[in-house]
Amino acid sequence: MINMTDILLDGFFAAIAGVGFASISNPPRKALAVCALLSALGHATRFCMMNYAGAHLAFASLAGAVMIGVLAVPFARRIECPVEACALPSLLPMVPGMYAYRSVQALILCLQGSEETIFMHNLYLLSYNVLNCLFTILLMGVGASIPTFVMRKR
Amino acid sequence: MTSAPNDVASLHNRLKEQSVFLSNYATQLLACGATTVRIEKNVSRIASAWNSHAEFSIFPSHIILNLWDEERTQSYSSIGRIKAGSVNFAIVNDLSRLATDVEERHYDIELARHYYEKSIIRPRMNRWLLLVLVGFANASFCYLFGGDWIAMAIVWFATVDGFFLKQRLSQYGWDFRAVTIVSACVSAIISCLGYAYGISSTPEVALATSVLFLVPGIPYGNAVNDMINGHYLCSLSRLAQAVTITVCLSVGLCLALLLTNINM
Repeated sequence: MINMTDILLDGFFAAIAGVGFASISNPPRKALAVCALLSALGHATRFCMMNYAGAHLAFASLAGAVMIGVLAVPFARRIECPVEACALPSLLPMVPGMYAYRSVQALILCLQGSEETIFMHNLYLLSYNVLNCLFTILLMGVGASIPTFVMRKR
Repeated sequence: MTSAPNDVASLHNRLKEQSVFLSNYATQLLACGATTVRIEKNVSRIASAWNSHAEFSIFPSHIILNLWDEERTQSYSSIGRIKAGSVNFAIVNDLSRLATDVEERHYDIELARHYYEKSIIRPRMNRWLLLVLVGFANASFCYLFGGDWIAMAIVWFATVDGFFLKQRLSQYGWDFRAVTIVSACVSAIISCLGYAYGISSTPEVALATSVLFLVPGIPYGNAVNDMINGHYLCSLSRLAQAVTITVCLSVGLCLALLLTNINM
């Protein structure tokens, strides 16, 4: 069952996150509006892929990132500003923060635990979270970069 | 025949001035977070507009740039130190426009230097506005991870405090790694409020999100982009810097967890 409110809310908060995190890298003002739009579309794409198509986080993020990359090229050309200033900040709301946090948490537990079964369980948690986090970030970067190389003007 | 040495001297002088300008230009772009594709494109556009050929390679803290004249009889090399400073896409935008103007409006080196100097001193966004925006951004991030409204409010406060500290400490000239550790630690401790008073049903999300405004997303993205473009050395040095910051923020988070003794 597709719930439009959830998708819109997801996009809305992704847009706020996109604008806020983009502001840290001081983009031109016109690019900020594009960042908001692309963040919302990218994150909503990922949300739909995960919740309605059952995709894994990493591949859903790849889809969201490709969406951002493909749209960033024409938008950047339109407002005459560098593609990376539109595409990279829009990716930031998709950073898998919970996985990163759980990795750190598992690392501490690993170092504290002494008994083998507990240690192995925490090691499993650590590797699970680190792998998910790394692959998601890598696929996000690749997904957003490929369109800028393919669609480049010669 | 008598004028030949003079010609060579003036050609050499021209190459020298252009080479110094382009070296400054490239190091500034790199520091501001431009991808290597863009730097290559812009530098070669300016060079060809000024009737010369530029080639450069990027090392972790320097750029080596070589400039040939049109017939490739004389050349001038310069090594530029990569400028310190944080990502600033407004400068990337201005400097890219400068490259277009040099090509299309035939700016000479004096004019280009004038616009270059003007671009790099452009003021950043108001820091108080930035502070509030980053607070809301991180609070939204908390929503995206499934946090409730109270968790979002906690994250807003934690982020504003941590980011304020980051701005101030950077201003005082602290090392960026120390700044990251301290800001992450303070943000994480403040976000433990949810645990301490039991006021949020998702205190874990608040704690996890509170430090994420420090994640160096742009260097990670640039590293992947440069890797695809084949600038492996540049890609690895950006990656190393991003990983350093990430490790520092994890250290800050760990310190906070140990200090507050949260039961995980």
